[in-house]
Amino acid sequence: MDFHFTEYQATVESAVIALADRHRAVPVHTASFNIYGAALDEEIAASGFHEVLQDGELGAVTAVGVILEIAKAPASVEIMASTLIRPLVCPDAPRPLALIDNSNRPVRFLPHAKSALVLDGDKVSLIELAAGDVTAVESLFAYPYGTLSKAALARAKPIKADANELRRLWQIGVAAEICGALDAALTLTTDYVTQRQQFGKALGSFQAIQHRLAEVAVAYHAMKWLIYRAAFSGSAEQAALACAYAQDAARQVCYDLHQFSGANGLTLEYSLHFWTYRMKGLLSELGGAGSQSLRAANLAWGEA
Amino acid sequence: MNFEWTEQQNAFRARVRDFIARELPEDFEHLSRGGPASKEVTEFSMSFCGKAAKEGLLVPHWPVEWGGAGATAYEHFILGEEMWAAGEPRGGQYMSVNWIGVTILKYGTEEQKRKYVPPMAEGRTLWCQGFSEPGAGSDLASLRTRAERKGDRYVVNGQKIWTSYAGLAETCFLLTRTGQGKGGISIFLVPMDTKGITVREIPSLVGAGDIHEVFFDNMEVPESYLFGKEGEAWSIITYALSNERVGIPRYALARKAVERAVDLLKARGEFKRADVRRRAAQALAFCEAARMLTYRVLDDRARGLPPSPEASVARTAVAAAERNATEFVVEFVPEAISGADDLLLEHHQRAIVASIAAGAAEIQLNLIANQLLRLPR
Repeated sequence: MDFHFTEYQATVESAVIALADRHRAVPVHTASFNIYGAALDEEIAASGFHEVLQDGELGAVTAVGVILEIAKAPASVEIMASTLIRPLVCPDAPRPLALIDNSNRPVRFLPHAKSALVLDGDKVSLIELAAGDVTAVESLFAYPYGTLSKAALARAKPIKADANELRRLWQIGVAAEICGALDAALTLTTDYVTQRQQFGKALGSFQAIQHRLAEVAVAYHAMKWLIYRAAFSGSAEQAALACAYAQDAARQVCYDLHQFSGANGLTLEYSLHFWTYRMKGLLSELGGAGSQSLRAANLAWGEA
Repeated sequence: MNFEWTEQQNAFRARVRDFIARELPEDFEHLSRGGPASKEVTEFSMSFCGKAAKEGLLVPHWPVEWGGAGATAYEHFILGEEMWAAGEPRGGQYMSVNWIGVTILKYGTEEQKRKYVPPMAEGRTLWCQGFSEPGAGSDLASLRTRAERKGDRYVVNGQKIWTSYAGLAETCFLLTRTGQGKGGISIFLVPMDTKGITVREIPSLVGAGDIHEVFFDNMEVPESYLFGKEGEAWSIITYALSNERVGIPRYALARKAVERAVDLLKARGEFKRADVRRRAAQALAFCEAARMLTYRVLDDRARGLPPSPEASVARTAVAAAERNATEFVVEFVPEAISGADDLLLEHHQRAIVASIAAGAAEIQLNLIANQLLRLPR
């Protein structure tokens, strides 16, 4: 057991943090449901962080580290598909890469995507997107969302890819995005309740708030290590468990983090929603926590 | 990062498993259904721990000159996982193995080491810890049991409560007040047959013979029973409990309970239900979360790093895993609590303790809030 990055992995992590640090600030007078991080995306691509998975000495745990760090930015960027999935499933697909598991719903990043990967049962297909394929939709969830035309969906080309392997990587990616967003949201809320005074003292000194934030911290640390272990082992069961845990926890923590931010957290001028509403958007991915749990049960104890 | 066991660690676990399989009788689940403090397990532990000692599997993490074998922090914990999941055949001796012995080796006089450590290393003695009092639970420093010096002796008066193993223990690691505040607490190592001690078992939900009241009525002990210096107890128990800071590997038995419940549900065809399968996986996820957070703390210990508030994160997750596993059993295999399965019954009894013993869950949350999140006091 070793819970630390190697020196090489730590060097890459430091570089990712340095890059992310340049994108931590929320633009002044921002009052939107989401900010798309085009500049951040370009810098990530130019720095080669989408390729860490293929470097044997960096591997999947470093890819998870990249996702965790980038998911802490207030702006959203397509990070997990390009870092964790594209290198193994469709390395030549133009990016940004949207991931579609339910074509009846709006899909994250479609308005900016150059291609889309479709998971339908045990079939995997790829669509190279062209102008007019996507209609952007406004969403409360803090990602750019779009819907795909039927014509574009009809162009989907089956690719040789293991659907279960795609699902495994996707689960790790969803869980890692939740984990990174939770980290940022917890830090923001901890700062807020430390500064905000009511009844003559800081909100964060009230035990009712301390205990619930402590439980949020437990959920964060738990999901982080479940995710890293799943990424390290390649186990489908561990990936399903990590994703189930993260999606389950996200439901509860979003409520608490908003609760402690009061009306301040309801405004678009305050940045909490960039992370909480991203987590909410991720709750339903791949069928949600229930589907992940069912899959984990099948893998642990056999199909029904 | 690496989340695999080394070959050496796997070999060590295999050795422990082989030993347990060889030494436990087939009906051990039934025999141990009253828990590790029961008369049956305590009696069994006296021969079992002796054999474990001869195999080098009782105190492998202790110094070699005191019966140890230089085992690592992880091997110490692997031993704990396997024993706890097997129904803790060491009974209450796990306490002396985990922290009392090493604490005596660090702070004891030569006479105390020679007197108390060999019987522990040979697996033939049981201790209890006289910590909690009716007015001093989570707020341990408010304890009032008083030891007054009279010449070269001390006279002790007061009461302890919730004392595990007190009914059958030979020796008590006793906290007493000799002065004011945290600097006024002193430890005595006291034979439980000393005149003036009365033990009363408290019937409980958590297993037979587990919790007691212990009364000290003008108990006179010689100065040589004092452990460490007078008033030094707080720093000693802070050290001692740092060895226990991640506590018992309860997630190992919690996971075994989930697996057993799944087996029972499969046998009667109910594991086909999607709701049951989802709930089982959720319990499994909580057990694995607790496992990973515990290993995270062990990783620090193995590196010789000082205790961190992440130990409280692990303890909170362990309590959540116990709760989740028992709630799964209660909802879908309720007959287990009514005598249909010894292991599930025993697990249910012991699981409720996880969020109360050795630092209540709320104390852990306080520590996380103040030390990890650095929220204002």
